Amino acid sequence: MAVQVKVPTVGESITEVTIGSWHRKDGDTVQMDEVIADLESDKATFELRAPEAGVLKIVKQEGETVPVGELICEIDPSGAAAKSSGESPKKEAPKKEEKAEATAEEPKPSADGAKKSGKVREMRVPAVGESITEVTLSTWLKKDGDRVALDEIIAEVESDKATFELPAEAAGILHIVAKEKETIPVGGLICTIDEVADSAPAKAEAAPAAESSATSEARTYAAGHPSPAAAKILEERGIKADDVKGTGRDGRITKEDAMQAQPAPKPSEKEKAPAPQPAAAPASVGSRNVRREKMSSLRKTIARRLVSVRNETAMLTTFNEVDMKAIMDLRKQYKDKFKEKYGIGLGFMSFFTKAVCVALKEWPAVNAQIDGDDIVYHDYCDISIAVSTPRGLVVPVVRNADLLTFDQIESEIARLAAKAREGKLSIDEMQGGTFSITNGGVFGSMLSTPILNPPQSAILGMHNIVERPVAKNGEIVIRPVMFVALSYDHRIIDGRESVSFLYRVKELLEDPGRLILGV
Amino acid sequence: MDYNVTVIGSGPGGYVAAIRCAQLGFKTALIEKYDTLGGTCLNVGCIPSKAMLDSSEHYANAKENFKAHGINIQALKVDFATMVARKADVVKQNVDGIAFLMKKNKVDVHHGLGSFVDKNTIKILAKDGSEKKITTEYVIIATGSKPTPLPFAPFDKKRIISSTEALELKEIPKHLIVIGGGVIGMELGSVYARIGSKVTVVEFLDNLIPTMDGALGKELQKVAKKMGMDIYLGHKVTSVNVKGKEVTVKAEDKQGKELELKGDYCLVSIGRQPYTEGLNLSAVGISLDKGRIPVDEHLRTSVDNIYAIGDVIRGPMLAHKAEEEGVFVAERLAGQKPHINYLLIPGVVYTWPEVASVGYTEEQLKEAGRAYKTGKFPYKALGRARASMDTEGFVKILADKNTDEILGVHIIGARAADMIAAGVTAMEFRAAAEDVARMSHAHPTYMEAVKEACLAATANRPIHM
Repeated sequence: MAVQVKVPTVGESITEVTIGSWHRKDGDTVQMDEVIADLESDKATFELRAPEAGVLKIVKQEGETVPVGELICEIDPSGAAAKSSGESPKKEAPKKEEKAEATAEEPKPSADGAKKSGKVREMRVPAVGESITEVTLSTWLKKDGDRVALDEIIAEVESDKATFELPAEAAGILHIVAKEKETIPVGGLICTIDEVADSAPAKAEAAPAAESSATSEARTYAAGHPSPAAAKILEERGIKADDVKGTGRDGRITKEDAMQAQPAPKPSEKEKAPAPQPAAAPASVGSRNVRREKMSSLRKTIARRLVSVRNETAMLTTFNEVDMKAIMDLRKQYKDKFKEKYGIGLGFMSFFTKAVCVALKEWPAVNAQIDGDDIVYHDYCDISIAVSTPRGLVVPVVRNADLLTFDQIESEIARLAAKAREGKLSIDEMQGGTFSITNGGVFGSMLSTPILNPPQSAILGMHNIVERPVAKNGEIVIRPVMFVALSYDHRIIDGRESVSFLYRVKELLEDPGRLILGV
Repeated sequence: MDYNVTVIGSGPGGYVAAIRCAQLGFKTALIEKYDTLGGTCLNVGCIPSKAMLDSSEHYANAKENFKAHGINIQALKVDFATMVARKADVVKQNVDGIAFLMKKNKVDVHHGLGSFVDKNTIKILAKDGSEKKITTEYVIIATGSKPTPLPFAPFDKKRIISSTEALELKEIPKHLIVIGGGVIGMELGSVYARIGSKVTVVEFLDNLIPTMDGALGKELQKVAKKMGMDIYLGHKVTSVNVKGKEVTVKAEDKQGKELELKGDYCLVSIGRQPYTEGLNLSAVGISLDKGRIPVDEHLRTSVDNIYAIGDVIRGPMLAHKAEEEGVFVAERLAGQKPHINYLLIPGVVYTWPEVASVGYTEEQLKEAGRAYKTGKFPYKALGRARASMDTEGFVKILADKNTDEILGVHIIGARAADMIAAGVTAMEFRAAAEDVARMSHAHPTYMEAVKEACLAATANRPIHM
């Protein structure tokens, strides 16, 4: 019976594809997993593989647009046996794929006891979020040719919003297609896995550390040992042998491995890279080396969005100052008790978050955003907290902050900040904030004009607390003062609202009793 | 500045450093005190001693082994003058070769005694008394070493001699007393033992070639005895006296029992000491540490533009060690980052059979408490060795008990000096004994002994034993 080949579901928002080209002709005998056609969507081009060996019967012609789920061609397996053996994939197949195919045929000595099922699982970039169209492959955790278990983490992928881990979609032998640092569109091919029936499925349950030794050939003492030439190259390029995957026997690092190794994204380690021109006079002076690095997706997005905020909003900033004495006294008095009771320190963030929530309720425009011709008001407060990480700034969201107690806010911020620094925040955790708080004070900022976090309409900037002379009741006293700034989108927030909002925040902070009473 | 780099001393460390500097595009000068380039190694060390060793080996073969091979020679005798002349010719060819290499690489050679005026200026005092100064950005000191004399019996260079004079003798000693059973003593001792001298070796320690694996020293002792050498281990020399043509050496063992030896020559080969005389190091503020020039891990001295390599610094006094260091410094100056694995600098003794080793000795592993295993294979069991009547010796492989990584390769036997390179290669790549055991080794060769020893180390399963 003929197998019907239909347009696969390639991504959430893709409803139809265009047949780019047929690689095989009507009536050709095709091999299982052979690429038979290129399909194009508005987002990406992908390859259609034969799900079965057999004789191809083309239904849709090149150039035709076909909705997802509709029949493209049929493959009749009954005609395969007679002709299949002599056939080989055509030359037009993209090079990458050919390679993957070729390696897929090689028996892997590491897979002892396991049988290949012959199935090849293609792993493509999943649709990870609405606005994400491409991802960058940051790190392969597995090597080409490694045995991987189902759901084992095989790579780290970075989008402009988050870094996420890529679990293997099948157990088998990994064939890497996308290289590290390569940017791949959603739906693009990342790797293929030669599915292997694991003789000992229990392996897949093992902890990842144990896994690596079980899957690749047992890791020996020699893994990661650079050859003399490789050692010199790594040293000169400022790359640690630990960061290089050796392809030599038992994982030894060959000269080629060293030449192709990517420096770890730690700029400080590379600063002393020597000038490689031996003909020049001895390098007696300090390095004047210039480094060029590919912008990460995250950085690119930050850059793009910040510029668009400048261009597309009517942003301006209002300032005020807050006498922090009351809060500091309160903290001093209760911070030990607080810590004892809740297991978390009492910081300033909870006060600011609470004060902001109260003020947002009173000035709903500050908590609103523009959507086309509408203004969307939020009756809840999801507060985005800016966190600085080695990869760049991220803004995880404290949900329903207006309903949370002080200790809940502190714990939630601590949890999110820790995840942010590890690059483990999910996209959900970063989406949907209604208002942002950023604290430049931790770096010593006295005063700044924060930039909006779209589509939000306002952001509060906290700064450092400095003892300043302040006139109180006709006398000069020294008080701990923080300048606060509110940047807002004048399109929907007027001066009255923004200034009043900020003044309200100031009132609540200077007299925290108001927070309790709501006055 | 006249030069980017100036190298003082043209031994294997210095001339190699100069060539590498020139290759890297530095304007390079080489200063040599003597008339010929090449230093100790080429003039009075490695090369001439190997020339003499080979000559004496041929003679010993003709005398001892030819008959068994079916070759009969009537009236065999040593023409010592020709032997020494041939040696001189070999030396000349080699040192001329170095001069050619300097020209080819456009290294300026200055003959004369180099000494520091300041850290960038070197004064060169030529033999004829003329003097010139050159300025240089960097300096590499490669002035080498010289034989250490006995404190109570300085070299008279006639009867109490160093290796230098031992290679220039006008006659074959009747009885050569060798003080010091290290590499030099054993090499030169075996030269003269083969061409008819009575040779007696007095060694302070309890083992010959004491820095090497103990098994090698013991085997060498056997071979030496077979050659007719008398070996006194654990003996401390107390006096050396020359009366006319007779040298009397007195020594005592640990119990204080006295030994008196009378011979016509006494070779003092108790070691070598760094040679820095005339460099005027005080002008640049470098002070010595037990005679050596202290250097950091990049072989830089306490003065930031002055480096030192080879015998004048720490580490074994070996030509190939100095060569590696010469290349190392040149490349560092060019901003490269090479590395030297000192553990894997092989040690070699050119007696016959030769002795060679690399890596840890069994004694070191024991002391470090490391779990190791041993694989040993004798030359006797080797087809190739029997065919050429070189059946003395063995290959000993030390490997980590758990990982099977090769930790030491120790060979005594024919061609050991050449074979050790395979050990270095294996260890640079951290090969396991089984790795080598699984590599094809051509048959019939001496190298098969290495493979068999690795099989023995892997799981005690040599094929031919």
